[in-house]
Amino acid sequence: MATELGMPAFTNQSQEEEPVGRWGMVIDQDLCTGCQACVAACSMENNVPIVGEDDASYGRYMHWIRIERLWENTEYPEVKMTQFQPMLCQQCHNAPCEPVCPVYASVHSMSEDLNLQVYNRCVGTRYCGNNCPYQVRSFNWLDYQDERIHPELVSLHNHANPDVTVRRRGVMEKCTFCIQRIHKAEDKAKSEGREVEDGEFTTACAQACPANAITFGRLDDPESGINKLAAANRSRAGHALEELRTLPRITYLAGGV
Amino acid sequence: MTTIAKPIARPHGEEHEDPRQYLMHDPLPRGQMNAMVMESMHETSPIFWLITAVLAATVVFSLGYEWYILIMQGQGMAGVTRPDYWGVFLVNTVFWIGISHAGTFISAILRVLKVESRRPFTRAAELMTTFGLVQAGLSIFMHLGRVWLVYWMFPIPNQRTIWPDFHSPLMWDLMAITTYLLCSTMYLFLPLIPDLAMARDRTEGGWLKQFYKILALGFRGTEGEWKNLTTAMNIFAFAIIPVMFSVHTIVSWDFAMATRPGWNSTVFGPYFVIGALHSGMAAVAIVLFLLRSTMKHYKYFIRPEHFNTIGMLMLLVSMAWAYFYFNDYLVPWYGGDVWDKLFQEYAEKGPKAYLWYTMLTCNIAVPWLILWNRKWRETPWLLAIAGILINVGMYLERYIIIPVGVTINRMPFTWRQYEPRIEVPMTVGTFAFFLLLYMLASRLIPLIPVWEVQEGQEAHLIRKIGKAEISTLSDME
Amino acid sequence: MSEAITLLAMFEDIEPASEGVEKLQQLGLNDDDMNVISGIPVKHTILGRPAAITYVSRIGMFGAILGMFLGIFFIYGIPYFYPLLVGGQAIFPIPQGIIITFEMTMLGLMGFSFLGMFIDSGFPSYTPKEYTPEISDGKVALLFSCPVSEQEKFIDALKNAGAVTVAPAEARHL
Repeated sequence: MATELGMPAFTNQSQEEEPVGRWGMVIDQDLCTGCQACVAACSMENNVPIVGEDDASYGRYMHWIRIERLWENTEYPEVKMTQFQPMLCQQCHNAPCEPVCPVYASVHSMSEDLNLQVYNRCVGTRYCGNNCPYQVRSFNWLDYQDERIHPELVSLHNHANPDVTVRRRGVMEKCTFCIQRIHKAEDKAKSEGREVEDGEFTTACAQACPANAITFGRLDDPESGINKLAAANRSRAGHALEELRTLPRITYLAGGV
Repeated sequence: MTTIAKPIARPHGEEHEDPRQYLMHDPLPRGQMNAMVMESMHETSPIFWLITAVLAATVVFSLGYEWYILIMQGQGMAGVTRPDYWGVFLVNTVFWIGISHAGTFISAILRVLKVESRRPFTRAAELMTTFGLVQAGLSIFMHLGRVWLVYWMFPIPNQRTIWPDFHSPLMWDLMAITTYLLCSTMYLFLPLIPDLAMARDRTEGGWLKQFYKILALGFRGTEGEWKNLTTAMNIFAFAIIPVMFSVHTIVSWDFAMATRPGWNSTVFGPYFVIGALHSGMAAVAIVLFLLRSTMKHYKYFIRPEHFNTIGMLMLLVSMAWAYFYFNDYLVPWYGGDVWDKLFQEYAEKGPKAYLWYTMLTCNIAVPWLILWNRKWRETPWLLAIAGILINVGMYLERYIIIPVGVTINRMPFTWRQYEPRIEVPMTVGTFAFFLLLYMLASRLIPLIPVWEVQEGQEAHLIRKIGKAEISTLSDME
Repeated sequence: MSEAITLLAMFEDIEPASEGVEKLQQLGLNDDDMNVISGIPVKHTILGRPAAITYVSRIGMFGAILGMFLGIFFIYGIPYFYPLLVGGQAIFPIPQGIIITFEMTMLGLMGFSFLGMFIDSGFPSYTPKEYTPEISDGKVALLFSCPVSEQEKFIDALKNAGAVTVAPAEARHL
């Protein structure tokens, strides 16, 4: 049955020719202004809970994308900022978060070449969170959506995206490349008997970015927007934590300094 | 009348010692030993029940009420966060599995190696294994985000038609710990059967007699029954040793399989096994001291010679631990990448550096300073104090690996130091539960395997060779 | 056919018990008709008896094989029926196979040895049996059945060998 799905039965996939992938992103760090519009848009699109000041300051913020601001180890006033680094799930082809889940809640999608997080299967061991080298996984530490914890945020429930489930406590979550939008576009294209066109839809973060720093698209189409961007900026292009060979699907274009 | 053996003070350098001070050469009639053990089981003081009540109350509060809050509110009640996804609950799990290894070491490895001085305390040590594994299992359940769904990790046919993922080290953990728990409980029970038969014979009636009668399975001691029992015990003794090594290796692989800096070390397997033996042997010293001080007649069974054996093993294991720790330290220090070096730097010079220094003092300095001297090794309370300090050190070792070490990762923007919250009372609860189970067990089952003690005493002889009285051992098995 | 009576002879220690066994064998009693009940395991050569046959190791080996197949099913059967790709690892991984097969084999070996001991000894058994509580106090008992007409001969021989008491064995609840 394994071979019927076209998967090699015994070999380690990463030893074969690296597959190109299907959905990917290019993030231009030169354009990123650190405005965090992507963070807000992603939270609204994906019903990411607001955890409140106390928990967020302890590191429990649940943003699926974060803008990392780092500065070099210098004394004030010689503060030298590095470029802003938007960090989100890299949708690695060899995701370290996948084999460590004991209940198959973190699996790899063959058709979309994405890393799937199955909320209703997660039992909350949090090994995947530990094993992600990019530390992009968020855990529902409490029922932040519950009105007993944040009564002031109850009105936000009216803004919840009906296409995305609301997660309860004890469940791990992370960026899905707005898979609800992917599926909507693919369904529409299928019903019209065609392939999804490049640029027909995009993720919430790419949509919201005022500087167009984030671009989303197809990796297997050489004419797609992101492949053209990557080709035009080959000298600046790289992957985060390349040496780990997780084969991420996000290409970063380093900013000029 | 009871016989209390006093250790004979030996000036340094004197070689002649009277073998009659040793348990194996100081036999009492079996009936008398049986009576001593039964008496120590059934005679209790009000203080015993007071302590039991306090422990029970602690368990109800911390494992009942606090855990209820943890489950109903969520893991946010604990001190875990990003990037500190794992915290004290995992430390407790590793710690309790470590404690449990001592039982198997004594009852299995010392039996296979035919170390005779193990005889009186194999059961006391094996009980530590079973009860320690109970605490480990509870601790691992405590850290789950949705613990009510933990049965999804069990590989049983189900209507969801989804099975667990054996790629994951946590599933290897489940298989290994289940195997170890079941096998060590069976291994605890097997040599217990003849002693339960003795207790059955010496109990007149009531629910206790029924209890012993049912558990003794109708054992009489016929040749066939002994043959079956000893064959099964031998199979267990040999087979549980590789399981013991594999269990803590697999627990260490929970960390070694991760890509985190500081965790991804190939030496973790043997390092954790030796660490388990280190804390386990130290815990055995504590338990034996407590048993000898509190249980009536146990000064006959547990003598300074046994503390000497344990002390020597503690010293040996502490040296092995130091070897493995040095390995684990040297390699990243010398040529590790920047993240491994940052991990080490944070442990040694960060805000929790005092834990690191305490760990090294307790794990290396304490055994290496105290356990060389034979007279000190034979002093029960000194060995117990060394045991407590070593266990503190080993707890800190796991604390440094998990909650302190988890601060460092390849994304410095996320670094944050973990502070335990509800884990503190729940950890106290697991310790209280361990002690409570032990205290209740001491009332119900004889903690000294009297038949094994008699077996050993039958095989030992004092023989005059030349001018000296020499202890000899016959191979009667 | 003469009736057989079951007698229980009590000895203080192993040495006189082995003498008693020899006396019974000299009197022509079959090894199958006698049994030694003791408070500690005594090697059959010390008693001068044939080795007791045990099936525990065979049952244990059978259990080990069952456990091995269970382990193989876990690690290779599950992905065969429900293949899911995780982390670029092989669907049928070899290292995990070794770990899980080992653990399940050991569990099968020990679990079935334990059960084998129960099965082979007939545990648990709460029917009345020939026994005296002094056995758990360290005495060695010799349980044997001989023809009723000859019991005096056997009793005298055992008393000469050092038996403390020789009496008809009564099956009682333990």
